[in-house]
Amino acid sequence: MAIIEVEHLMKEFKIAKRETGFLGAMKGLVKREFHTKHAVKDISFTVDKGEMVGYIGPNGAGKSTTIKMLTGILVPSGGTVKVNGIVPYENRQANAKNIGVVFGQRTQLWWDLPTIESFELLKEIYQVSHSRYKENMDTFTEILGLDEFINTPVRQLSLGQRMRADIAASLLHDPPILFLDEPTIGLDVVAKERMRTFIKEINKERDITVILTTHDMEDIEQLCQRMVLIDHGQKVYDGEIAVVKNRFGKIRTLVVDLEQHSTPLTLEKAEVFKEETGRYWIRFNREDISASGVITQITQTHNIKDLTVEEPEIESIISRIYQEGFDGVEQPIPVKSGS
Amino acid sequence: MAFMRYIDLYFKLVAAGIRAQLQYRFAFFMRIVGMLTSYAGTAITMWVMLYQFQELGTWNFYEMLFLFAIAVLSWGFCIILFFHFRSLDTYILNGTFDRFLVRPINPFFHFMAMKFDVASFGQFIFSIFIFIWVSAELQIHWTIANVLFLFAAVIGGVLIQGGLLVIISAFAFWTTKSEQFYWVVMYPARNLTNYPLVIYPKMVQWFMAFVVPFGFVNYFPASVILGKETPYFSENIGYFSPLVGIVFFIIAYYIWMLGLSRYKSTGS
Amino acid sequence: MFNYRLYWTFAKKSFLRSAVYRFDVWSRLGSNVIFLLMWGSIWTVLYAGREEAGGVSFQAMLTYIVVSQFLSGVNGAGTPLWEIQEKVRTGDISLELMRPFDVPLRYLFADFGSVFFYMITALMPLYIILFFFMDLSIPNDPLIWLAFLFAAFIGFLIRYCIEMAFGLLTFFLVETGGVEDIFYFAMSLLSGSVIPLWFFPGWLASFASYLPFQGIYYIPNAIFIGEIAGNQIFTSIGIQLFWVVVTYIFLRLVWKKASQKVVVQGG
Repeated sequence: MAIIEVEHLMKEFKIAKRETGFLGAMKGLVKREFHTKHAVKDISFTVDKGEMVGYIGPNGAGKSTTIKMLTGILVPSGGTVKVNGIVPYENRQANAKNIGVVFGQRTQLWWDLPTIESFELLKEIYQVSHSRYKENMDTFTEILGLDEFINTPVRQLSLGQRMRADIAASLLHDPPILFLDEPTIGLDVVAKERMRTFIKEINKERDITVILTTHDMEDIEQLCQRMVLIDHGQKVYDGEIAVVKNRFGKIRTLVVDLEQHSTPLTLEKAEVFKEETGRYWIRFNREDISASGVITQITQTHNIKDLTVEEPEIESIISRIYQEGFDGVEQPIPVKSGS
Repeated sequence: MAFMRYIDLYFKLVAAGIRAQLQYRFAFFMRIVGMLTSYAGTAITMWVMLYQFQELGTWNFYEMLFLFAIAVLSWGFCIILFFHFRSLDTYILNGTFDRFLVRPINPFFHFMAMKFDVASFGQFIFSIFIFIWVSAELQIHWTIANVLFLFAAVIGGVLIQGGLLVIISAFAFWTTKSEQFYWVVMYPARNLTNYPLVIYPKMVQWFMAFVVPFGFVNYFPASVILGKETPYFSENIGYFSPLVGIVFFIIAYYIWMLGLSRYKSTGS
Repeated sequence: MFNYRLYWTFAKKSFLRSAVYRFDVWSRLGSNVIFLLMWGSIWTVLYAGREEAGGVSFQAMLTYIVVSQFLSGVNGAGTPLWEIQEKVRTGDISLELMRPFDVPLRYLFADFGSVFFYMITALMPLYIILFFFMDLSIPNDPLIWLAFLFAAFIGFLIRYCIEMAFGLLTFFLVETGGVEDIFYFAMSLLSGSVIPLWFFPGWLASFASYLPFQGIYYIPNAIFIGEIAGNQIFTSIGIQLFWVVVTYIFLRLVWKKASQKVVVQGG
């Protein structure tokens, strides 16, 4: 059963052009020209109840614009959105009761007040019954360890604590849908892990539908079965994560600095794709060969001064998907036309 | 029903706002001192100005103080309720405004209830002191009707100035700027009304009566109480202050909501 | 060594930068006009049709106010007090300590750039028209013009030193509420920007004459309308020069203390 339905969603913005140079500056005093930016061009997808979907794309791809339209903050320029049967921008307040929202970089809590007070205010704003409030607070306190800092003003919390408080706050009113915008950004490894465990747990136990945007490959791998990949306002891929992971997620890049060399570097099951004054970028598939395997090959002919292994960023995966497509693996699901 | 809920919620949000503000006691205290200093500064400037000349038009120093004190008093209430509207642009630019839109209550109400700037003691101390001092000097006869009228006029003044703050903040929805508009529109307008409108060219007086109705904040009501002439205007025009305030504020509210819907279609 | 080219670059950069903020230009000009209207009206009504008061003609007085508003437009186009305070609070200024230039001078030259932009795009056109259409008294003697321009420039420097020093006080005070209000009050009343010192009560006039603020507006304005004339011009400019040195030393002292604080405590 689809709980979120998005069809041919579109959003355009007008952006002022900035003139350069002295004359341009003078001209800008009087007149300014605009051009249209298509933040979201034509996106359709549906999400079933209880699903956890990674909504992914590089910066400026249209991720947060889509989320804003799903939460009723923005009105689309075209297409339709339905969240739990409600059109968010037509009935924002009713929609607000159905959703929980966490923006990783901006807290929704009252900055100067002890954390508990934010919860109490949100209880009033969302009209949460007293018993339900207490139950939820007990659960969240237990899983998230809120009691460590419940009386500390929000501004004094560590980022990890603040994120825990923020996510608990977004769930106080038992929303069936949760939007998480970069929920692990800036967190250390332990805090990230804790966050992920919690998200998994509430998704499973409360059957909450989760839409997640992130730059962290780990987040997606651990949390989502499905991902919607967008770029330049369009859907590039919509399907199982395993497929993308198999195809691209196992590619690693090894960067090595080598000492003066006479013999060219030749490698098996790995390729040098960039070279710059003694520094080599080497691409290999984790499944075909391990990093140490590549390094062993190099040390047979060269001396390594320094090395790092880079994991693929979402950006590079997407750009590779663009370059190479899904040939031989799976075609991206074509955007549905009609209904 | 919804109305009662909002009243209840308003007090809860406002109480939270006050607690937040009181976390910074020293800053709070310094702001009061600062406000007192700057109002005293304006009063001293008026005194120096009239030291040689005795009168500004037909207005003497005490009458001008009285005029000024009404403006300060209603501005004090205005700061409590609406002052944070001028920084709406900051909320929009750093994205924190969105949180008012993901909650199931009226965003205007939510934004308004977010802050409750109690540092207006400076205004109250100053204006009450002036009222007492000037009443004796001018031998103003305070009847119940007079007091009630002053009270109503102050409410009108709060709504007019608050309304302008709301309109200024709504500019942020179109231009992503509001703080600057505050300095261009509100600040000069408030300064103009520190002096009796009668000294300005006729066009300015009309503008301040019917476009940005700051004349109703202090000049018209003060003229009624002090029995001063208001050339170009009916002498009883001051009695319309509360009504003008209500109408102006309603207009301001709708402009704000219009801006909000524009924000929802542009995002910034 | 004074690196002219570096500071010239600051001025140029800030000139071009101010061009981007067109709204700033129009808004400043707008409120400048409103305050001109306000003080023009006040003085018209104070004179109440009299040809002269306290030995100064109405025409001269009106000129005084117009010149004063022009100068406050010029002075207001630099980095405002709150921006300096903001830069102190955010640590921007502390970061600049690591750069190979003198920070107060860097801001002064940046101000030259933005002031020049504002002058040629907004202030000059407006005030030339005003002088053309209003019945104002304009000095005939080019030497008076020269003295006025010089005095106005020194006044600008005095204001800059005082304002910057006040801004840097933010390094030492958590909350500057009362302090900045005293600054603004002194700036508007004691500088003679809206009421010339000769209309002050005697004791206040002599009090103001012992302070640096008169050098910002009162002296250049009064030179322009001929209230300060002859040898008085030299003594007045002498007083200004004295104050620009004193306020500059004061600024350097505050700056030295502030930079020590940054170095020791890391801002």
